[in-house]
Amino acid sequence: MNLYRYDGTTEGLFSAIDHILRHEDDPQEVDLKPRQQTLFDEGLFIATNAERSDILVRRFSAAYPENARQVMYVVLSEKEEMETRLLQYINLVSLYGSRIEAHLTHPAVHAVHFLARKVAREVHRFKGILRFAMLEDGSYLAKMEPDFNIIQPLSRFFTRRLRTQQWFIYDVKRSLVSQWDGKKLDFGTLESFRSPELPEEEQEVQRLWKAFVAHIAIPERKNPDLQRSFMPMKYWKYLIEKE
Amino acid sequence: MDILDKLKILSGSARYDASCASSGSSRNGGEGTLGNASTGGICHSWADDGRCISLLKVLLSNDCRYDCSYCVNRSSNPAQRVSFTVEELVELTIRFYRRNYIEGLFLSSAVMRSPDYTMDRMVAVVKRLREEKKFFGYIHMKVIPGCSTELVRQAGLYADRLSVNIELPSGDSLNRLAPQKQKESILKPMGFLGDAISANRLERKKSRGAPRFSPAGQSTQMIIGASPESDYRILRLSQGLYKKMNLKRVYYSAYVPVNSDKRLPVLAEPPLNREHRLYQADWLLRNYGFSADEILSEEHPFLDEHLDPKAAWALRHPEFFPVDVNRADYAALLRVPGVGVTSAKRIVAARRYAVMTPDGLKKIGVVMKRARYFITCSGRPVERLFERPVLIRQKLLAAETIPAQQPLKQRQISLFQ
Repeated sequence: MNLYRYDGTTEGLFSAIDHILRHEDDPQEVDLKPRQQTLFDEGLFIATNAERSDILVRRFSAAYPENARQVMYVVLSEKEEMETRLLQYINLVSLYGSRIEAHLTHPAVHAVHFLARKVAREVHRFKGILRFAMLEDGSYLAKMEPDFNIIQPLSRFFTRRLRTQQWFIYDVKRSLVSQWDGKKLDFGTLESFRSPELPEEEQEVQRLWKAFVAHIAIPERKNPDLQRSFMPMKYWKYLIEKE
Repeated sequence: MDILDKLKILSGSARYDASCASSGSSRNGGEGTLGNASTGGICHSWADDGRCISLLKVLLSNDCRYDCSYCVNRSSNPAQRVSFTVEELVELTIRFYRRNYIEGLFLSSAVMRSPDYTMDRMVAVVKRLREEKKFFGYIHMKVIPGCSTELVRQAGLYADRLSVNIELPSGDSLNRLAPQKQKESILKPMGFLGDAISANRLERKKSRGAPRFSPAGQSTQMIIGASPESDYRILRLSQGLYKKMNLKRVYYSAYVPVNSDKRLPVLAEPPLNREHRLYQADWLLRNYGFSADEILSEEHPFLDEHLDPKAAWALRHPEFFPVDVNRADYAALLRVPGVGVTSAKRIVAARRYAVMTPDGLKKIGVVMKRARYFITCSGRPVERLFERPVLIRQKLLAAETIPAQQPLKQRQISLFQ
């Protein structure tokens, strides 16, 4: 088995996958990991090549859009030790096409699907439970702490849904922020952040929402376990109705 | 009265409507419009009763001239009567939507002066939302029985889903408990909707520019446990509604006593388990190719309290099993307890490339604690109990029971005793 190492970035990962797919006889028999900062790290280091990485991503997405989405979700999951699986998955898809979807029992396909589904589920969940608050200047701000790095697909969803208002989405855990000005979506990082005072109008709407949530439940059917199984408590921090 | 108090009263009276689906419709308005509807539907929160909150579910008014015995808004109740103005409700919807609290609006109402008057006001709300506010979110609207067909037609052009509540599972019960509502006044708009929705589907196939009419279909709701009908009768009714009226969903709502009335039964608590079993059976009707007569019969008119209806059917039909997962067709796979629509499709796709094994089935998502008693993998059984349904029943029940939770203290091992 041949050992390969890369610099730990997404671009580096795709550069390495591209290199291995072009130079290895059997990519299924390869081990790919980020480089360790130790003296005795084994394996061949593959330098990041932005151009090759870009070509691979572009071609793969054009040929297999559905599978490319799975790969993207796995990258967004930020889970460790998925590099070898991703390499095998991309290799299998390029050999057998999207028919590979039916090979759910193959270890690489199963691992990629399983993780991609988890990330997709969190994206879907946040489409519902993300809460925007209106600030003094009329723009809207939503804070969140998702398990996975989902700010990109989530922001793209809201450019279609809330396209007539200016908003920010702030991933508190990762210090990432996205901004929509009504026409263009930008991503950036945020070093420090102070929660602004909410205008009176915003506080009134929040009171209305809390009252609605309280009165829509049927008291005779109270079921906190069911509520928590749909909406785990880890997400309650930024839910106005759960403050 | 301020809007906060109105909202408390009018959402509190709307909570007995079960439906909160926001699926089945896809809308996107483009530049300058607010919102979109996504086909899969999105839940935005879950209330303390565990039910999903997807839509702003409110009544336009609780000022009812009818006196239905089971209803919280009946005219003989001494409740405070309030109504939203069109403007108030439109503003509230937009303000909630801009903060991503909701997927859209669920608008119902008590019958104010007349069915036509009420329906006209409701149409005014959704018309203002769609035309003036350019709102493209999801809208579910109730049809008030007895209103004119023209108003229903207008509502269908603005709403994503329309529904007429059938309320009770038989005409007799309706006469007894809701004497001012006639069976015909409920069935007539349902029939109209069923025809109009399928005609609109055809039309939109011919030209994509044709206006949509209630694109997410129609649904209905009935109260379970307020009247004496059996599960068999209820399922027969649902089956008829799906087939003849072209319904998307029938909702079942466990009867919650909100009034005391000698015509109503006295229940210790709402029949939630019965409601749950009916939903399971309903899924079998819609997605699994079962008919009501397969699930129940005149001799056995009630669903098994302890076992889901699919497993109950499987135990009554040992001759159908074992099903071989590597050979059986899709319809037969769907009948195996523990195999759902998703896993049946996956099995059919996956076995073209590799032989299915018990381990592979588990990976695919089959619930093996149920399926294991009913399948073979290329002739090889997982458990050899096919001839002994009584034993399978015991094992199935044992697998479902969760061991009673002990307080943490008692489970801890004491080291120094």
